[in-house]
Amino acid sequence: MNVEELVRESLREQAEQGGPVPGNFADRVLAARRRRRNRTVAGASLVVAAATVMAVAVPGLDGDSGRQETRTASELRDGDVVAHPGQTPPRDLIAAGGTALAAYYTQKRVPQGKGVEISARTYRLLDQRTGTYKKDARWSVLAVAPGMRMAAVLERELPARRIGLLDMVTGKVERWIETPHGTGGVEFSPDGEKLVATTYEESPDRFDMEHPMTDGKTTEPGPANPSRTGFYVIDVASGDSDWNAVKEESDEVGLPSINTRQDFGFSEDASLVYSGLTSGKHPMQYYDLNGREVSAPAKEKHRHWVNEAGLSPSGKLLDGGFAGGARTTASAILDPRTGKRVTKVPGQILLAWADDKRLIAWDIASDGNEYRQRLVLVTVGSKKTVPLSGYRTGSLKSTGRWHPLFADR
Amino acid sequence: MDAEAQNSFREFVASRSPALLKTAVLLSGGDRHAAEDLLQNALVKAAGRWQRIDEPEAYVRRILYRQQVSRWRLKWPRRELAVAEPPEGAQGEDAASAAELRIVLRGALAKLTARQRAVLVLRYFEDLPEAEVARLLGCTVGTVRSTTHRSLARLRSLAPELARLDGPDTGARPHPTDLSPMEA
Repeated sequence: MNVEELVRESLREQAEQGGPVPGNFADRVLAARRRRRNRTVAGASLVVAAATVMAVAVPGLDGDSGRQETRTASELRDGDVVAHPGQTPPRDLIAAGGTALAAYYTQKRVPQGKGVEISARTYRLLDQRTGTYKKDARWSVLAVAPGMRMAAVLERELPARRIGLLDMVTGKVERWIETPHGTGGVEFSPDGEKLVATTYEESPDRFDMEHPMTDGKTTEPGPANPSRTGFYVIDVASGDSDWNAVKEESDEVGLPSINTRQDFGFSEDASLVYSGLTSGKHPMQYYDLNGREVSAPAKEKHRHWVNEAGLSPSGKLLDGGFAGGARTTASAILDPRTGKRVTKVPGQILLAWADDKRLIAWDIASDGNEYRQRLVLVTVGSKKTVPLSGYRTGSLKSTGRWHPLFADR
Repeated sequence: MDAEAQNSFREFVASRSPALLKTAVLLSGGDRHAAEDLLQNALVKAAGRWQRIDEPEAYVRRILYRQQVSRWRLKWPRRELAVAEPPEGAQGEDAASAAELRIVLRGALAKLTARQRAVLVLRYFEDLPEAEVARLLGCTVGTVRSTTHRSLARLRSLAPELARLDGPDTGARPHPTDLSPMEA
């Protein structure tokens, strides 16, 4: 017998000595679930919540008893719809169903010399002490974890050599995760336990005169060649990371088939990551967590990365993109398995599912300016929309034009 | 969760909890109370998605493994489990008897990190291939391989008695002192 065999035998023996399961175990589980649902909406982010709680040194999660973590502003404002139709950009928390506006950013081109410009973002992040959006100019990119207690942040200069885990109650970075390959984008997995960090050689927000854009009258720097190198998958609780190189995708004539910034995202169950593609047969390429190309999961075969809302929480419906006319707005809802349209909902651009029947969307005013939009709540099977924010400016170049970022409440 | 879903959930808990608890006990290093907590947490998560889960047992197992690894990571300082039989308890020639070795080994298993123990449970109790272990834990095959190697090495250092099993006379792995300089 060797050590492996002895380990095997010992484990089997120990497993047999576990004893019977308590008779009322299912009741215990269901009661625990009810208690947790009352305390926090984002049950799936328990690990993240616990990590944050540890970080701010508040008595932490321990089974079911004695949890005393600080209640966040978004937990205190727990109405089904929290709207501020008079605010643009928003000042106070906006939320609907299980989803909230966690942050938004504005963009400005910053000249770097020699015809190079960086499209720099300025974020306003939900301050969980006050429930208001507060400017935090320290970060070039951020992502908010489900439950909105933690954000992953990248410092100003991209690509960044480390990712910060920011406590949204205290506003302090509690932990740094080193990313020697240089990170330009981050996204949490739907359960908040993992991060996918997209790595680049140069800033993914770079514009240069090698690829100028012109409107016939003036010429300005255009998006630089993509410099994407791969992705890290990071375990949030431990900070453990694995980096995978991903070769640059290009089309049949050798042109890149990704944008300068083309961040990776997670599949619905976080077992895969995907990249959007700008040309080719499929709009998305999936990879396993070791960086190998794989085919799309059954429910995501018809997903298109530009349709931001993606799959509904139950996975039964899919954002199908714009389905309006020349002067009207509407969006398609698809059956994710067949790709066939199930119905249409109001809304110009669907942004995030609030629950299995409702979505947060951009929609336009009666003046028909397709860029002057406000956040609205739309419902599958209803023509009614509920305004959530004021209208953002219709000028694409305005530095006041804000871009929303949503997270599970 | 509607009434029908609750019934199917209760049936699942009744029929599958005994097997799931065994795994939880192993993951907790023999701590029965921690095992119940672990399983309860996993089932609470499963209940939250009950109508959307195609394979409940696979789903719960996956949460068990990942949650255990995450949970223990979050506790600092790392919780030490009190064991009745310290790994160093059995000594001398007689300690090599299989029964005593198992006692020694169990004490050593309880002293591994949660991740090390999870990898060993998946490899040697569930008998899963490395690729499957990697998928369940959300890491690479290389990580599984190196963690397995390190976990066994740690067991050997916690329980030096195990070295006897690996002696050249068993036909298994050579004792470290038997390695040539190149191999060492």
